[in-house]
Amino acid sequence: MLPKGTIEVSEIWKRFRLDDRPTYLQDRIAQIGDRIKNRKAESWRWALRDISFKAEPGESWALVGPNGAGKSTLLKIICRVMYQTAGRVDLYGRVGALIEVRAGISPLLTGRENIFLTGSIMGLKRRDVARRFDEIVEFAELNAAVDRQVKYYSSGMQMRLGFAVAAFLSPDILLVDEVLAVGDATFQQRCLDRIRAVLAEGTTLLFVSHDLAAVEATCTNGIWIHHGAIETMGPVRQVLSAYRGAVEGEAKARSHIRGRISVLQAEASGEDGGLAKTGGPLHVDLTLHSDENYRAWIYLGVSEGAATPIFLINPGRETVLEPGSTRVQCSVPSMPLPRGKYYLWGGVYKNWTQGEELISWQPITQFEVYGPELDAAPKAVVRLSPLHVESSWDIEAA
Amino acid sequence: MPRPSEPPKNIWFRRRVSLTRSLVELWAFRELTATLAERDLRVRYKQAALGVAWAVITPVIMMLAFSLIVNKITHTNTGLHHPPYPLWSYMGLLPWTFFSSTVGGGGMSLVSNNTLLNKLYCPREVFPIAGMIDATFDALIAALVLAIMFPALGFAPASTSIYVPLLLIVLVMFTMGVTLAVSVIVVYMRDLRLAIPMVLQFGLFVTPVIYPPTKLSHHPAFLIAYSVINPLVPVIDGMRRCVLSGQPPNWTWLLAGGVSSLVFLVGGFWLFKRLETGIADVA
Repeated sequence: MLPKGTIEVSEIWKRFRLDDRPTYLQDRIAQIGDRIKNRKAESWRWALRDISFKAEPGESWALVGPNGAGKSTLLKIICRVMYQTAGRVDLYGRVGALIEVRAGISPLLTGRENIFLTGSIMGLKRRDVARRFDEIVEFAELNAAVDRQVKYYSSGMQMRLGFAVAAFLSPDILLVDEVLAVGDATFQQRCLDRIRAVLAEGTTLLFVSHDLAAVEATCTNGIWIHHGAIETMGPVRQVLSAYRGAVEGEAKARSHIRGRISVLQAEASGEDGGLAKTGGPLHVDLTLHSDENYRAWIYLGVSEGAATPIFLINPGRETVLEPGSTRVQCSVPSMPLPRGKYYLWGGVYKNWTQGEELISWQPITQFEVYGPELDAAPKAVVRLSPLHVESSWDIEAA
Repeated sequence: MPRPSEPPKNIWFRRRVSLTRSLVELWAFRELTATLAERDLRVRYKQAALGVAWAVITPVIMMLAFSLIVNKITHTNTGLHHPPYPLWSYMGLLPWTFFSSTVGGGGMSLVSNNTLLNKLYCPREVFPIAGMIDATFDALIAALVLAIMFPALGFAPASTSIYVPLLLIVLVMFTMGVTLAVSVIVVYMRDLRLAIPMVLQFGLFVTPVIYPPTKLSHHPAFLIAYSVINPLVPVIDGMRRCVLSGQPPNWTWLLAGGVSSLVFLVGGFWLFKRLETGIADVA
């Protein structure tokens, strides 16, 4: 018997029926009829293919991947809500799951009754729940509302209640599936703090999130799932950078720079056309082609992945585009970016505030920056974007 | 190495169901079962102005309806010692109401607890079992009415009432078997839930609840066969014999019904376990 908190997943496969007809009687009969008539083999879709990994007690694992990759299916199989088609799952210890925080909550019962109900679903005795009851209520900030029916709660309160119950019942294994997106910023940070406190108590964590910054600040190991199969597995930073790289590549393949005007050429470089350096200048050189005469506003920005920009080059530039080609150059004297690959985003608008698009906001070229790498964020610090800011410290006894 | 398109045959997941392990697990989850039953009761009575009285109202209204109307149209022979018809029909309505509310409530339990099912693992039987506990609670409250009815009608329960637990075992086995099967089938065929009240209504009339089984036929073989198909027949008949007429139950019928209800229970459990693995895929 392995120690409590171990998750061992070996060669998990899962398939779903492809002809997912609604399950009404007439459909069933129709299905049976089809099968008798042409003896057609049933069609299946493999949602998970050959997933194996082992999490030791106290480890924190992240599952990342695009929507529909199979992350939630894997989580459901691990917590035995769903059964695998092939393979083995071995779990040791009690499992707490935050899969759909509000799922287990009965709206007609009071907060107090719900806490006990969720507790017993997790296999706890009433007295264990009673012992932690005050902590749960305090964390969820329910106060007097704890004796009110949950249907009168705000959705934030319901979320907090669900999270608090699951996180305070000291499971050996905690499964978290993209649930933090609901609460406000303060509560999200508190949830992450709580997850880390649970980790410190020796709980094994399996964390599914699209919030890569939160993943990086919480987990030590990562698995990137793509189309139901493991793409990369290992230390979280390594997995995340591979995943980010793939997302970027995809974005590049997708970006057709078209609009009512087009980008003929785009380049972002450092001094003398070389690579950009941390703290050094960045020169952007664009050639636009226009068929008509426009009074246009040009905006530029920089992002790390193909998601929201880290910063915009502000302000935008108003200019007149004559029919034919126009060369646009922009210089940033000092780039506050650490080493890495970045995207240059651009957009051209006709009427500044109304923003009629001539070129929609999108990544237009990629560039690399050389320089020092940022230190890894300390635990519990969620870092959204990598900026390298010059600073000087002065510490003395006071 | 290219990934195979299907898993190798030797690792395919085959669910092994062990009866003893299932029972041990069920026992481990007894607190959850109790909590679920308690929740359903609370939810049901929380918003009802008359509260727990509803458990009594349904069978009492039926008893009154049968006593005032049915008994006027067709005079019923209530058997040895001629117990009063209201008592006689109430004695049949109690097990019937227990059966129908368990099948109706417990049969829907997997569908109505859909969100819980997708949250965490627990043996799925806890949901239909919790439904049965609720129905038991209601039946016990409804049985309290007997404490008024017996003195009011000047009748007393017979000493043969000691056979009642035996009848209840048959009743519980049959009810549980049917409920387990219904609850899991409904997950796969959603529109069957619309058929459940109809089938139960039909069941009320084909089961000798408001008339004695001998009204159906006097042929002994028929009644034995009918006890096999519908074990409620010997249960309801037995309740009246034991409690009201001071007779032991009809042992042949009871044996037929008892064996059959055991088959219902095992079959229902087997079906439940077979179909249980796919619940999360279709729900």
